[in-house]
Order: sequence, then structure tokens, then C-alpha cells
Amino acid sequence: MRRIYLITYDVCDPKRLRHTFRCLRNWGDHLQYSVFECQLTDTDLLRCKAELAEIIHHKEDQVLVIDLGPAASRREDLVEAIGQPYSAMAAPCLVI
Amino acid sequence: MIRSTDHELHDSLSVSESTDDSQYTERFTDYLPVRMINEFVYCPRLFYLMHVEGQFADSYETIDGGIVHRRVDSGNGHLPAVNDPARGEDLCFAVEELDDPPADALMDQLPQPKRKRRKHIQPPTLFGDPKDESEDNISSPVDDSSPNLSRPPSKEHGAETAIDREKEDETPAIIHARSVTLSSDALGVIGKLDLVEATGDVATPVDYKRGRPKKMSDGSLDAWPPEKVQIALQAALLRDNGYRVNEGVLYFNTTRQRVVVGLDSELEKQTVKAIQNARQLFESRQIPAPLNDSPKCAKCSLLKICLPDETRSLMPVIHEHDANAQPTPSDVDIRPMITARDERRPLYLNQQGLMIGKKDDLLIVKEDRKVIQQVRLREINQLSLFGNIQLSTQAVQHLLQMNIPVAYFTRRGWFYGTTQPLGVKNILVRREQFRKADDLITCLRLARELVRGKIRNSRTLLMRNHVEPPRTVLAELKRLSERVLKADSLASLLGLEGTAARIYFSQFTGMLKVKCDIETDPGSALSERRAAFDFRGRNRRPPRDPVNALLSLAYSLLTKDCTIAATIVGLDPYLGFYHQVKPGKPALALDLMEPFRPLIAESVVLTAINNRMVTPEHFIVAGKSVVLSDAGRKGFLMAYEQRMDALVTHPLFGYRVSYRRLLEIQTRLLGRWLTGEIGEYPVFITR
Repeated sequence: MRRIYLITYDVCDPKRLRHTFRCLRNWGDHLQYSVFECQLTDTDLLRCKAELAEIIHHKEDQVLVIDLGPAASRREDLVEAIGQPYSAMAAPCLVI
Repeated sequence: MIRSTDHELHDSLSVSESTDDSQYTERFTDYLPVRMINEFVYCPRLFYLMHVEGQFADSYETIDGGIVHRRVDSGNGHLPAVNDPARGEDLCFAVEELDDPPADALMDQLPQPKRKRRKHIQPPTLFGDPKDESEDNISSPVDDSSPNLSRPPSKEHGAETAIDREKEDETPAIIHARSVTLSSDALGVIGKLDLVEATGDVATPVDYKRGRPKKMSDGSLDAWPPEKVQIALQAALLRDNGYRVNEGVLYFNTTRQRVVVGLDSELEKQTVKAIQNARQLFESRQIPAPLNDSPKCAKCSLLKICLPDETRSLMPVIHEHDANAQPTPSDVDIRPMITARDERRPLYLNQQGLMIGKKDDLLIVKEDRKVIQQVRLREINQLSLFGNIQLSTQAVQHLLQMNIPVAYFTRRGWFYGTTQPLGVKNILVRREQFRKADDLITCLRLARELVRGKIRNSRTLLMRNHVEPPRTVLAELKRLSERVLKADSLASLLGLEGTAARIYFSQFTGMLKVKCDIETDPGSALSERRAAFDFRGRNRRPPRDPVNALLSLAYSLLTKDCTIAATIVGLDPYLGFYHQVKPGKPALALDLMEPFRPLIAESVVLTAINNRMVTPEHFIVAGKSVVLSDAGRKGFLMAYEQRMDALVTHPLFGYRVSYRRLLEIQTRLLGRWLTGEIGEYPVFITR
């Protein structure tokens, strides 16, 4: 079961910031500065957290993982955008 | 392969003199890893699947375990030799071949260079190391529970503690060596010890476990049997390398508790027995039966490969009293154990002229040097390319490393090959496949069942989707499905299959509910309008009407998925039982897909047309042949994957799975049938 997580971070050092961004890019969509929306299984989340724990400074930086519930039963109005539009995609496969 | 009496082995386990015994040394060319013995004690079948067949699957537990071991595994693997000249010669350090150059052994006595810490501060879930902390001036918040520092009050061996403490007083320097690889010629095992705490010549192996200790009824903590055996073996390895070992320690990361394992003779006996039995099993090449209704199965990472209850339910019961009785399928309740669904999705690349590169774990899709999409590799389970699409070598390498197969099609959807990772080392099932394929009777037996399944399933599809299925057709299909079981050769079977297909396809139009026209030759004077989805029988190479074009593409896609399923299980997709061997033809995949043709391929064609996912505008008519446009193919691929994702109830096992998983289950069962574990191959026939 995938769940939706909002992962936000506050990292003080530019190098670690870049690493955090690059790490999270492998796991989810970049919504805004320092905000990612990730759809993760429990094993994905485990791996993702382990990677982040390796990158950040545990005394100076902070990463927040916010659980937004199961991806399968996602509500239409889970995320509401003011200004720039927001869209969430779901398909059985990806065709480009 | 039982080497000698228990008594002798028991001796060899406890003292180091055994390395003198060349009789043992020569016997073992291969060391059994200690971890394998742990798995053997957990479940012999798990041991077999992992270490004889080479199959592995990740689960939450295995990944978490890997993370727990990350710090330990970053150790340099150096354990100083025991300062005892008499024993020094017996040392047999198995230095890791790749990571450690042999010269490192000389550096054991030199002061170790300060280990370069990869990152800033380790997360507090791992233990603190007193030496490192003094260097780095970090006060770890978990000092109290650190396995290096404290001993739990529940320690069983009070006397030994006293000795230990005395030793520690004399020589206060405790050496912590991480990730130490040791081997024993006497036992024929090799193991990587997470942590060795050594004081003088007394050493304690510490093994890291992710879970929690076993709680005894009186509230005290104990270790689980497989872990106990593992730690006993680690202790034996240390002893064989000259150390004195009084006890072993298991550190459970979830509860951060340390459990001391006493090394009594009972445990040692059990350990020796486990090594013997594991080795015997390793050499017998006979897969052990699944555990019977064991709670261990639910947490086992190989559950979806092992199929314990499914296999048990199909295993023939041997009647002991009556030798003539036919073996009957046993009556096993299949527990509704939900294996984690494959949450990844297939990726199809369909747009001509794309360039695919790779960056970190992302596939970068470029068109005219502009990035049009980034795809996370962790979210896909296969990649299919249609036509002229460039895939960089770096991307191919990364895909294969992540176990993602790549399938190639021409632009029109002709499936011509796959790129797969090296795959499972399961050569045993493949050997059986080649043996059985030589036996005509076996081939015929399987082929009959497959054709029967196909006819039955196409009949079901007619009944479900046809506006008004003619009774005569249904009756004839039913009659044919029974007749194939009496077919006496593959040739006559082929004839029966052909007859059934003709009757079935004659009714195919009745399942199409969209009536619209298509122009045969737009713009030309000879152009005529005809019904777009008018189907008058199967034709191909090239398909001459839209329905045939869709059917061809659907079969192509299904062949791809069956080829991949066969490869995952370890079977050779090119050696079939019903389909003849022909170069480049994945005969086994075609065998496997027979019963699924109506259920997946033909059903998708109906859905795509009836739900207007594909419309007449999506077809390009060129002369007599008809092809799908890129946009049409996209719509159809979506429809196909929707079908593969749809859940279906398994008629034998009673649980619901997706068609994609069903293909894998059925292929695994075919493997089990080939190796003789189950008596009959259950062809999937939907109700």
C-alpha cells in the first residue's frame, strides 16, 4: 500500500541542502522549495528516511515527514492550490 | 556427508586443535556462510530457495535489517591476532578479497588511522562507540542502552561475568572490531561477525538484530533459536581462531536490548546438527516441503516465491496403506496471507525520437534535447520501448542493476526481444524443463490442459460479453474442451485448437458494442467506408482490420509479460512443451499464455473498443494493412495495464490477485510441477 507523504526540510548548509534535494528527487515530486510530495510504500519510506538520516546534520537540520493517508483512497480535495495550479496524476502505467 | 560421530564434531567445535586435522580441511572446498545456517534453522525451505536456487526478495524486515547493519558493516574488519604464540599459527583470517588487500593483515598491530566518518552525526538508533565519541566529542543520547557499555541485569552466567570483569580490570583496553570475517576449516563455515569485543584473548561476538527479543513466560528475555545457533557458530569461529569465548551477545535494535546467550553443550549439539543437515540438504538438491501452517510464513520475505500453502494444497497425498490408490490433492486451507503488492508500474515509451538518459535514480526523457519528463526508477517494474527510442548504456546498466527488464518492440508492436538482468541462479528448474521437454507424453499431458484452459476461458468470455451467445457455439466449445483431453498427439491437439478458435472468433463481433465506420484510403478516389470494428476472422502479418491490429498488439504485450515471468522464475522462455521450438520464438511464453489469451488479451481489446479508449481515428490504413497511431497505442497500453492491474479470484486458492501477479504465480507453479513437487499443473480456468 502506498501512502502519500509530504516531506519538507530545513537544511542550513548549501551542500547538504543540495544532497537532500537530490535524494528526495528520487522519491517524489518537487512541489515547492523544500517541499516534496512522495507516494511511498512502507519499505520506500524506510529507505528514504535512512538516506536522509545519512545526509543531514542531526543537530542543525530538520526534515519533517507528514503522512497524508493512503494513496489509493486519496480525496479530491486533499491538496488545494491558491495561485499556480496543482495536479495529481494516477494511472495504471506510464506511457510517454 | 555426515562426517563423523557427534562426539568428535563436538570436540572440534570447541577447541582450536581441529585445524590440524587435514582430513576435514580437504573435504570442504566451499564454506557455508553462518547466515545460511541461521536461515536453515528458521526454515529449511527458505535455506533451499535462497542458497540452492539463488532466489531472494526484499521485505520490510530485510531492508530494515540492512539499515541496522549499515554502521556495523562500515567497520574495517580488523581483529588483532591473539597474543599467544602457540595459537598464532592456527589463525585463519579470511580476509575479504575485494575490500581488503592482504597487506592489511600486517597493519593489525599498528595504530589504526582514525576512521573517516561519512556524515556528521549518526542517527541515535545505532550504538555509540566510546572510542569514537571521545575523538569526536559527541555525547550520544543512547549511552545507557549501548551494547558496548552496559550489561543487562538479566545475565545468566554470573560466574563468568566475574571472570570477565577480572580480565577487564587487568587489561582495561577492550577492542571493538566490526565486520570481522572469519572462517573455520574444521566446521567448513565462514561468517562475518558484526562486532567482536575482545579483551586479551577473551572475545565476545555481538550480533545485531533488527527485531525484538523473545519474551519468556517469566518476563526474562531470550533469543530466538536461529539466532542462538548463529551466535554459537560465531563463537565457534572465534574459538577456532584462537580466542576464548564465554558467551555470545545478541543486540536487538528495536528495543535496544542486549541478550546474552550462554554457550552450553545443548546449543553446541544443536549447532553441529544444523550444519550437518544444512550441508546434506545443500547437496541433496531436493527442495524440502513447506512448513505446515507455521506462523513464520507470514513474516517471511520469500513468501511470494515459496507459496507454502498453495504448494501444500497441490502436493499429492501418498496413501501408505493402499499402494494402488491414486494420489489425491490434499485438503489444505490456504491462509489469506497477503504478500505485499508490487506497487511499481510498467513504463512504456511510445513517442518516436525520444532520448532516454539517467541521472541518480531518475530516467530523464528528452525530446529534441529538452527534458520532457523524469521518471523515478523505483516506481517502475519494466520498461518497454516501441520503435526508434534511444536508451543510454548508463540507463540500461542502472535498470538491470535495479532488476528492471527492458522489452523491445518495433513501432508497430512486434515484440522482438528483452534485456534482462543475469537473473536467478536457479539452474535446477531449467534442467528439469529440458528433461521434461524431451518426453512427449509429458508434453502432451501439459498441452492438453493448456488447450482445454484456453477453450474454456474463451467460452467464459463469450458468455460474459456476447449480446446473445448462440447455444450451439457454447455447446460445441464445451464439447471440444472435453475432447482435447483425449487428443493422442500434438498435431491432433493443434487441429482441435484451430477448430475451437474458428468457432470462437466467428462470434467475436457479437462482443463489440461500438458501431462506427472507418475510411479505407482517405483522400483517394477508391476510398470506401466500412464498419471499423467489423471482425470476420483472425488475420495477421500484417493485420488487415482494426480489431486484428489490436489483437496482434495485445498478444505481443502478453508474450512480453509471459517471457518476463518465465525468466523471473528461472525457466527458459524458448523451450516450450506445446509450441514447437523455432528460433526466436519464445515457445514457453506462448505455452504459458494460452489460457490467458481470452482473459487478458482479447478482453482488453473488447474493453478498449467498447469503452472508446481506441476509436477509428486512431488507425492508419495503408493499403491492406492497418496500424495504430502513436496516440491510439497509448490508449491501448493504458487499457492493457488496467487489465493487468485488475483483481481476479484464484479458483483454487480463493484469494484475489492482480493478473500480473497471477501470471507469476502460475509460472512458479509450472516450475514446481517440472521439479515434481506438485503432481498436476493447475491451468488457470476462471469461473
